[in-house]
Amino acid sequence: MKRRSWLAALAVGILACAIAAIAAYSAQAKPDTKKADEIEVLSLWGGSEQAAFLKVTAAFTKATGIKVKYTSARDFIPDVRTRIAAGNPPDIGILPRPGYIATLASQGALKPLSSLGLSNAYMQGQYSAGWLKLGSAGGKLYGVPAKANSKSVIWYRPDSFKKYKFKVPKTWAQLLALTKAYKAKGLVPWSVGAGPQQSQWTLTDWFENIYARTAGPAKYQRLFTGKLPFTDPSVANAARIMTQIINNKYVLNGIQGVLGQSFVGGITDVFGPKPKAQLYFEGGFVGGIATQQVNKNLKPGKTIADFPWPTIKASLDHPIVGAADFAAAFKDSPEVRKFLKYISTGAAGSIWVSTNAVISPNKKVPAKAYPSVLSRAEAHQLATAKTFVFDGSDLLPGAFGDTWGFALQDVIQKPGNIKSILSTFQNKIKGQF
Amino acid sequence: MPVEPAPPLREGGQRIRQWSKRESYEGIAFVLPALIVLGIFLIYPAYFTIRLAFYEGDFRFNFFHYIGIDNFKELLTNDPDFLDLSKFPPGGALINNLRWVIFYIGLSLTIGLALAVLAVRVRYERAVKTAIFVPMAIAATAVGVIWLFVYSPDPDIGILNAVLHGADGGFKPIAWLGRPSFVNYALIFAYVWASVGFVMVVLTAAIKGIPADVMEAARVDGAGEWAIFRRIMLPMLSLPLSVVTIWLFINVIKVFDIIYVMTGGGPGTSSRVIAFTMYEETFHNGRPGYGAAVAVIMLVLIAPVMILNVRRFRSERVVA
Amino acid sequence: MSTVDQAVPLTARTRSERLIGFLTRTPIHIALITIAVIWLVPTVGLAITSFRQPQDIATSGWWHAFTQWDWTLHNYGSVIHATGMGHAWVNSLIITVPATILPLTLGALAAFGFAWVPFPFRDTLFLIIIALMIVPIQTSLVPLLKLFAEHGGLNKGYWGIWLAHTAFGLPLAVFLLRNFFITLPKDLIEAARMDGASNMSIFRRVVVPLSVPALASFGIFQFLWVWNDLLMALIFVSDPDKQPMTVRIPYLLSTYGQEYNLLAAAAFLLMAVPLVVFFALQRYFVTGLLAGSVKS
Repeated sequence: MKRRSWLAALAVGILACAIAAIAAYSAQAKPDTKKADEIEVLSLWGGSEQAAFLKVTAAFTKATGIKVKYTSARDFIPDVRTRIAAGNPPDIGILPRPGYIATLASQGALKPLSSLGLSNAYMQGQYSAGWLKLGSAGGKLYGVPAKANSKSVIWYRPDSFKKYKFKVPKTWAQLLALTKAYKAKGLVPWSVGAGPQQSQWTLTDWFENIYARTAGPAKYQRLFTGKLPFTDPSVANAARIMTQIINNKYVLNGIQGVLGQSFVGGITDVFGPKPKAQLYFEGGFVGGIATQQVNKNLKPGKTIADFPWPTIKASLDHPIVGAADFAAAFKDSPEVRKFLKYISTGAAGSIWVSTNAVISPNKKVPAKAYPSVLSRAEAHQLATAKTFVFDGSDLLPGAFGDTWGFALQDVIQKPGNIKSILSTFQNKIKGQF
Repeated sequence: MPVEPAPPLREGGQRIRQWSKRESYEGIAFVLPALIVLGIFLIYPAYFTIRLAFYEGDFRFNFFHYIGIDNFKELLTNDPDFLDLSKFPPGGALINNLRWVIFYIGLSLTIGLALAVLAVRVRYERAVKTAIFVPMAIAATAVGVIWLFVYSPDPDIGILNAVLHGADGGFKPIAWLGRPSFVNYALIFAYVWASVGFVMVVLTAAIKGIPADVMEAARVDGAGEWAIFRRIMLPMLSLPLSVVTIWLFINVIKVFDIIYVMTGGGPGTSSRVIAFTMYEETFHNGRPGYGAAVAVIMLVLIAPVMILNVRRFRSERVVA
Repeated sequence: MSTVDQAVPLTARTRSERLIGFLTRTPIHIALITIAVIWLVPTVGLAITSFRQPQDIATSGWWHAFTQWDWTLHNYGSVIHATGMGHAWVNSLIITVPATILPLTLGALAAFGFAWVPFPFRDTLFLIIIALMIVPIQTSLVPLLKLFAEHGGLNKGYWGIWLAHTAFGLPLAVFLLRNFFITLPKDLIEAARMDGASNMSIFRRVVVPLSVPALASFGIFQFLWVWNDLLMALIFVSDPDKQPMTVRIPYLLSTYGQEYNLLAAAAFLLMAVPLVVFFALQRYFVTGLLAGSVKS
């Protein structure tokens, strides 16, 4: 009898909680009506990148009284697709893939900026033509370039260089020599995180830097806009060069380690409290993540710094691969318009870059807005780049940026099968542009 | 407990009662709400999906662009992520499900049966059962997180690597989820961990139902424990074993959560299963018709179980 | 039912016989206890990790925590407030309770109809429902998403997922409850009928009170099923504010993937309710589970 009454009490307890919760839920606004002064922004940042963005939205809320709800989704493609199909998209999405934005625009899911109060003339005053072209589809502008990063920097530990008297490599041959030198000292040279949590894009960045430096920017453009097939020998050549470093000898835990490590995990392997490797390649945003999220004890210049990607073919010098996120609107409302306008101002850009997480593509953001030596160097690199190309995998249509990442994962596992892996990928993407 | 069929209309010794029209309406009224819900939210969607499989589908999931059986053709002959017979061992999501069928069912049955047979002989049987059964109550999401910890390549976090590192100091950590050749088995074992409890509970109940005198008589006749197990216990357990196997098989066809949480189908596509492929193709790659074709294949694979269930129920309805 | 205890009776044995009996069973004891411990290790590891400081987690394995006594509730605090897990926990509850009560109610009514009220095609319909028990969710994701979007925005609130879970829980409910209902004493029901009671009052006054164990079994089974569900919530709850814990934890993985302290705490919050329900109401849960696969 005692047990029975205890069970009954438990059941009643749970029911009571539930009823209270449901009552609370129905008491608030019905699902259809949203609070009038709130918008939802979706992007893939988390951790310190998210915190940086929230500083920008806080300033926006202060100035306009409109609250911003931030939703994070690293695998944003299924998220966006489900929500559009459910009739419940976010107000604004800040997405890193112009190719995907173009796909969305062609499905009519996005609102052109000109219909939201951002005229072409205004936008041309804020951004250079290159950025505007990336945010356009079908001749109309859909995305406000919100933030940018260089993807042509390699991160290292200056204290480690000092200890072993290593010098910053300027050519690929020197980089390989550096790798071997670390290995000779019994240290693991590289960490690469290209596995869980959709981290395969890091491999695409490796490939893009190598390709731009071996095949040149013109071929690069053609490859990622569908005018050159992936079965072109230059592609296989670049993939092979990539495996000169990403192989079982030089990477932490070998290829299986690469596939089992996430992109932030890779940063932690080099810059965390217990370093396991010495060099890490990913874009300028690594600095912010490393110093603010992974290891707050890092000292830029002493325990963390970066150097530009080395040249491979001397004649092609230093093309800079850059990436950017574009703010696009799924819905039209006064709040959405105000937010997009705000994001396109120099003020917002300055606040954002002050967090050390990003570079601003905005013409109106002054150089002195960059607080640290790391970000200033990155901005300088982007601004003075003689040749600039955009992250190729982000230019691919639909979800093919991910598929390309998977293909590169196959490449590092089976370098002998490069040709067949590339032709399989070409078959998939043929006709999709 | 003897199972009686629903009260027949004509009963020996009692007044023969024809159902009245009013009673029919009442009966239908009782089942109608459930039938309506089932019809709208279960049966109609199944029809919709089967139909969608013959179209390409667009981003609003309309019936866009009829293409006949092209989706199925592509799935079975031209999609190495789904079915790749060109190499040995074959690959693809369908083959992964086959691996699940063999190893998940095999391991769960073996371990569960062994545990059941051993546990009934000790007094703390209930404690052991509870320890093994607890993972059944927790969400596959949590199972995924737990095993992400266990499999971590960092010996300070992942206990598996820590144990191996402890045994052999120079041991290089294994990224259990990073090896395409192994990742499926790692996932399978995590799910086995969560499922063995069910097998054990069913089988301990069944073993206790085996008459002790039969086994005692065999022991007196000099039969060894292993012979008793093989010749007496196993045959008497065949019904519960088949029930458990069917339950495990259904789990295999539907397994999704643990792959979504632990590997996202990776590295690359090597740990995909068909339920995951359906999700990926529909919501990630934006091909609703293609994903619907995968769902149809899932239905086809599960159909034999459906038929078996119905048959079994019908045959058990007739009671002495 | 035959004897439960397979162990050799202890009374009629000498001390040495008992000793030999115990020793020969030692391998069994070792095997069982080892396996049981191994089975508990992953969960225990997670539990301990959720109480450790983040810097401890990064530098030493959780098995060291027994010697380094530096436990904290900080992780749970962070996870509940900073990452919105507390909110998601409430969402889980909001989703689960109606999604349990609805199929229970509709299922009980239908089961009664199938068990005790004759009507044409009853048996065929029941067989169809049995067949529907194993239809995979994948067949309904896209159509229901479209249906909910086009009719009243059911995706924006909770009605979408409530209805979807109800539909998928109904076949098991009807099957389980109907099988139980027909074991009720025929005379009781016939007597009530002869007294002139309507079917509805027979249902309410006779059948339901006698069926509490079966209702509880299905209820608990469905509760855990919905609480632990990921895929349906992923698709049918499109408003991030309303997503349950099972959906928010993979988000946590992708944004805070290195912060094991948060992950462990979040996973444990997710597990807390099912574990409590399981330990308190174990019998009912097991019956529900068994009935889904065997006939009770």
